[in-house]
Amino acid sequence: MGKQSGSEMKILPGRRVEIWLGRSLGGLLLLGLYLLIERGGNAYLQRLTILFLINVMLVVSLNLFTGFTGVFSLGHIGFMALGAYASAILTMPVAMKAVNLPNLPLPLASIALPFLPALLLGGLTTMIIALLIGIPILRLSGHFVAVATLGFLIITRVVLINAEGFTRGTRTFTGVPPYTTLGWTALWALFNVYVAWRLKHSTLGLQLLAARDDPWGARGVGVAIGRVRLIAFGISAFFTGVAGGLWAHFLTAFSPNAFYFSKTFEIIVMMIVGGMGSVTGSVLGTLLVMSVTELLRNLEPGVAVGSFTLGPLYGLSQIGLAVLLILLTAFRRQGLLGDREFRLEATIERLGDWVRKARFSIKAPSAREADPLINELISKLSKR
Amino acid sequence: MRLLRPSGVLFLAFVLAVAACAPAATPTAAPATPTGGPPIRIGAPFNLTGGMASIDVPAANGARLAAEEINAAGGVLGRPLELLIRDTKTDPATAATVVTQLIEQDKVVAVIGFNDSDYVLAAGPICQRAGIPFITVGATSPRLPGQVGDMLFLTPFGDNVQAAVGAEFAFEKFGKTAYLLWDKGAEFTTVLAKYFKDRFTELGGSIVLEDTYQSGDKDFSAQIAKVKALPQQPDFYYISALPDDVGTIVKQFRNAGITGPIVGGDGYDTPLLIEVAGPAAENVFFTTHSLLTADSPNERVRKFVTAYKQKYGTEPEAVFAALGYDTVYVLAEAIRRAGSTDGQAIKKALESIRDFPAVTGVINYSPQSHIPQKGVTVIEVKGGKFTLAAERVPQKVPAP
Repeated sequence: MGKQSGSEMKILPGRRVEIWLGRSLGGLLLLGLYLLIERGGNAYLQRLTILFLINVMLVVSLNLFTGFTGVFSLGHIGFMALGAYASAILTMPVAMKAVNLPNLPLPLASIALPFLPALLLGGLTTMIIALLIGIPILRLSGHFVAVATLGFLIITRVVLINAEGFTRGTRTFTGVPPYTTLGWTALWALFNVYVAWRLKHSTLGLQLLAARDDPWGARGVGVAIGRVRLIAFGISAFFTGVAGGLWAHFLTAFSPNAFYFSKTFEIIVMMIVGGMGSVTGSVLGTLLVMSVTELLRNLEPGVAVGSFTLGPLYGLSQIGLAVLLILLTAFRRQGLLGDREFRLEATIERLGDWVRKARFSIKAPSAREADPLINELISKLSKR
Repeated sequence: MRLLRPSGVLFLAFVLAVAACAPAATPTAAPATPTGGPPIRIGAPFNLTGGMASIDVPAANGARLAAEEINAAGGVLGRPLELLIRDTKTDPATAATVVTQLIEQDKVVAVIGFNDSDYVLAAGPICQRAGIPFITVGATSPRLPGQVGDMLFLTPFGDNVQAAVGAEFAFEKFGKTAYLLWDKGAEFTTVLAKYFKDRFTELGGSIVLEDTYQSGDKDFSAQIAKVKALPQQPDFYYISALPDDVGTIVKQFRNAGITGPIVGGDGYDTPLLIEVAGPAAENVFFTTHSLLTADSPNERVRKFVTAYKQKYGTEPEAVFAALGYDTVYVLAEAIRRAGSTDGQAIKKALESIRDFPAVTGVINYSPQSHIPQKGVTVIEVKGGKFTLAAERVPQKVPAP
């Protein structure tokens, strides 16, 4: 970190232009990609992109708590479930409620909210519940938090199965309007990544990282560890709840089985592949895991190798993911990015250096380039 | 740049690992013999891995067998059927993605698959929007057509039909009092118990005790203690359970000295019942789609069991194999009648199918009902074997 901020202080005006150019280029690239997928008319690709963005939200939010605090949460899919059911109950048309949820209490039975307020309310409900359970849970530390949050996941499932008036119990919850579009998901995912990024580089984020790396030292300089962790837990739960709402209005039919261990492990794998504590790593990890799974899944029906066909190879995508994980734990335990970030600025700087160097090497012999004193002199001269 | 290298190495190693794994799988010939046009593509998503695999794999095998038989006999409209079997990993989100891909990229003309309503409800609306007919192989919830729309058809009967037959059969044969136990961890078992109760009380029977458990429970002593505490034992015990739990429940009830008849639904149609419960499975009765034995009096059943055994080296593992087989034949018949592969035309042709002879009974559809009015087979476990107890249609069916 120290090295990075040092280099940032030395940013020169010329580089600033480069960085802004790069930023707007990156933004344009994302926008172009979005338009390409949105207007392209390939429903399969659109579905995958929506699923990817929802997973990005889940993984970034999980990382926002687990990565920044170093405390493992196994209960986040419980938050997703709460957000999903809460927002779906709010948006379902009144006539549909009379058929599907005849025992719903009155204020809920007679209203059907638009998408955005329902998502926000779903997220807020989840956040309030997270804060309530967070107060006792975050008094624990290390593995005990993992066990307690796992308990929360199991309790959530039992409540969902038994609160039949609200959830139809184990029966499939249907009649959810298909509101989730690529645009909604992209905006929410962008917002979520932005908040996580800003949080990591804020005072709160530094306090969280300090408390993670050296709890005694952090306490010594006045960090209220319990309080900052609770704030992170709440924000994380809010976005997880919203992601659940988006998922519910994307799939439109689900049951409590969808929110259990397999989904929990899925997002944990994505987080670990990307790197715990890295926001951009979460995005990369989700991208890698989903691409590998989807690519291999497409090979499952059979692969033509030369003149003969291999397959069918059902289960290949699961095996492939397991192999990826084993390789990762063997060769790169910290994940793709560890807890560092992919920084546009740093990349552009490196790219700029490379371009400058390439330009130089035509004029200057290599011996001179190797001499730091002469090198510096030349760079000063060339700036004029 | 530095960042990319390790992941690059990882990727390479990964590709190599996959390449090393790949040849281990068994190759299966892709169907296609008749020529006379491009193949007619049919999407067949099933949960070939995960919790549903034990019944979805036989269903997919049955469907593949039917497609190969039809192709060997010249195909449909002079064109071969191409069955695109895909794994959806017992995950509704994957089911939705796979079905979208089948429709968008593979341009299938119809979709068949799944034995559970969770996956039908995730995938069905996508077919509905695209105007592609969807026939579910084994999901028995009678509410499905109402929930999904007019492009959805069922190959099996609805749960209300088998529950009504179970209630009527037991009422006549065993008596007026029943004990009712169901698994509240699954939709199918919950709904089946509800329909059974509706029909049984309507007939004039009474439920002396109701109780529940949760799928995966291994100890039923609490439920058994309550039954034993009853002043008088009921005439029979209706237990609505999933295939995985059936054997354990029956065994524990029998070990506790409860010897009366136990009645259930098609969740009992699994080899696990006799494997796990052994001699305790005697005096168990259940409703199902068909009795699949090589010495069946029904010629279609005999033919199917023989063909299945010849192709896969084993008798059909579950009755869903026959449902998968029937689904492909019904769909092929509809395409033949429609004379085209247009979604609406196939749907209309399906609605015109009457008295279609299938392994699991006679299939009838109509524009009002996309659930076939089929007979229900009642099976009794006798001498460690499934034997035919009755074949009947319900006198009255509870509303869905």
